[in-house]
Amino acid sequence: MPRPDDCSAAFRALRRALLSRRLAAVGGLLRVELLAIGALTGAFIAWQARLPLDHLAHDAGPWAAVRALALLLGACALAGGVLAGARHRRRLAGGAPELPWLALPVAATALARHLAWESGLHALWTAVPAVALLAAALGLVPAWALALLAAGAAAALAGCARLGCALAWALAVRRLPEGPGEPLRRLLSAAMLRGRAARLPTPRWTGSTWRALLDKDLRLSWRPTPARGPAVTWLAITVLAAAVWLAPVERPLAGMLSAALVLAAAAALGDWLLALACCDPFAALRGLPLGPRAVWGARATWVAAGALATAALLALAARGLDSGARATFLVWCAGATLAVGLLAVHYGMTLFPRGAAARRLFGLMLGLALAASLMIPLFGWLVLLAALVHSARRLPRWWRLEEREC
Amino acid sequence: MLRVEGLTRRYGDLLALDRVSLEVRPGEIVGLLGANGAGKSTLLRTAAGLQAPDAGSVTVAGVDLARDPREAARRLGYAAEEPSFYDELSADEHLAFVSAVRGLAPEDGRAHARRLLELLELAGRADEPVRRFSHGMCKKLSFAAAVLHEPPVLLCDEALEGFDVAAALAAKQELRRLAAAGCAVLFASHITETVERLCDRAVILHRGRNARTLDRMAWGAPATGLSPLEREFLAVARST
Repeated sequence: MPRPDDCSAAFRALRRALLSRRLAAVGGLLRVELLAIGALTGAFIAWQARLPLDHLAHDAGPWAAVRALALLLGACALAGGVLAGARHRRRLAGGAPELPWLALPVAATALARHLAWESGLHALWTAVPAVALLAAALGLVPAWALALLAAGAAAALAGCARLGCALAWALAVRRLPEGPGEPLRRLLSAAMLRGRAARLPTPRWTGSTWRALLDKDLRLSWRPTPARGPAVTWLAITVLAAAVWLAPVERPLAGMLSAALVLAAAAALGDWLLALACCDPFAALRGLPLGPRAVWGARATWVAAGALATAALLALAARGLDSGARATFLVWCAGATLAVGLLAVHYGMTLFPRGAAARRLFGLMLGLALAASLMIPLFGWLVLLAALVHSARRLPRWWRLEEREC
Repeated sequence: MLRVEGLTRRYGDLLALDRVSLEVRPGEIVGLLGANGAGKSTLLRTAAGLQAPDAGSVTVAGVDLARDPREAARRLGYAAEEPSFYDELSADEHLAFVSAVRGLAPEDGRAHARRLLELLELAGRADEPVRRFSHGMCKKLSFAAAVLHEPPVLLCDEALEGFDVAAALAAKQELRRLAAAGCAVLFASHITETVERLCDRAVILHRGRNARTLDRMAWGAPATGLSPLEREFLAVARST
């Protein structure tokens, strides 16, 4: 029988199996779409970075470009470390999904390494800009320097991911009360016991499906679920977008800041709606006579309410603007909130119950729209509307959806 | 009535269901027996519309599941083997949500839910978040949600597994009451004793195929009343 601390081969096999299963779980078309979005995002970054690097190489020599590139790659690695650390912190705080591990005769150190590996995978998202930056420097710096930079960036990314996870671990353990047993076991067990709520209020019995859906969404957003964070974020950013108009800054700057914050708030609204979709248990929901119209209607009601609330708040805050400019600004803000919110509703429904995939696609699509608008003004709107129409056409697939693992 | 015709379902290379046909008439409780992996849960999940068949059809109380899944879901109750809920809602809130989506009048929904929660001995904890429930309590809640609207067709996947003795007896009585009212019940289990006592017919699935259909006459008169162990358990449970 293998010793508990002698299970590295089993964990290696598990990691290989997990990677191949996750890759297989992404459908063929979705894989192509993700690759295309990744390639377009990478191409945009490369295009944006190429010109400054070229200037630098031309004016100050190739070594200046190498230094700048090294700094940028370092920033990517750091961002990867932050992503991995944040994910690891959530994983350790979540506890419950990892609890079955505790029943196995596995050494805590091996289990901790495995959990850190899982979290560290999130750092790979920053590989996209890193590769794009390296591609942007092709021909501007010596090839051997580029190869060294690529190797260094990979090592830095791996190192930062480990560092991020180690920091998350240290933070989690620091808060852990003293007690017998290994810290990891106590940490995961304690996470299960946290947040035990008192008795809940009496439900509202209604005969309307929409009211029941809206009521359920409100309750889930109020309680400690994954939907609460994005809901609070959305409210906070929306208030901030209005507060900018009251700050002592010039109107054009206030308008620009407010518009940027409205976009961020719309993204948070979308994230909240996707988090709500993630809370829906597939078997419980699909066994009910709930059609796509009812689900879409309830979620779209939140989007419309969000757009109206944003417009109303901004209308109050931006009273200093002349009426024409104010109307244009309000229509733009409400339109952006509607489009972004509805896109999230569509992805939440058409990819249900694969919430993680829906969130990734939503984030990538928003990034793409933003990049498109930076390249060609207002082009992002076209990208956003195209995505909206494309996802709306897939809504009737609601009845064909099945529960598949991500 | 539930009619399943030529149902076939594959998971990659594995043929989970191979042209399975069966019929459950109104007022009948049909047991679905089979070893682990025989295809019982796949059959029930497919009949409940949770996954699409590769071939074949399911008719729920006269409605083709593929043509009108919403209407079929309206006429169907499904108690899953591994139930899932909104963890942060209470049992009361969950049943209120199910009642509204199923179009029950608020007063009817509330009354049915109260009766079922008391029947299954969940009423005392109906206002606690579901995440605090044990597996057995989750199964009871799943059963209550499935029968809340008194459906014409009921699918039970190992529905009584995890129930305590008193709740299991109450749930069996509830199933008999529903059947007497005209409900067609398909009851999957791997426990032959439960099927013997509860069901009018039994279908045995083997490697995804309908291997045999048996009438109650085939296994003789059903055991009636309580077993000595059940009697002892109930005596203790009722004394406290």
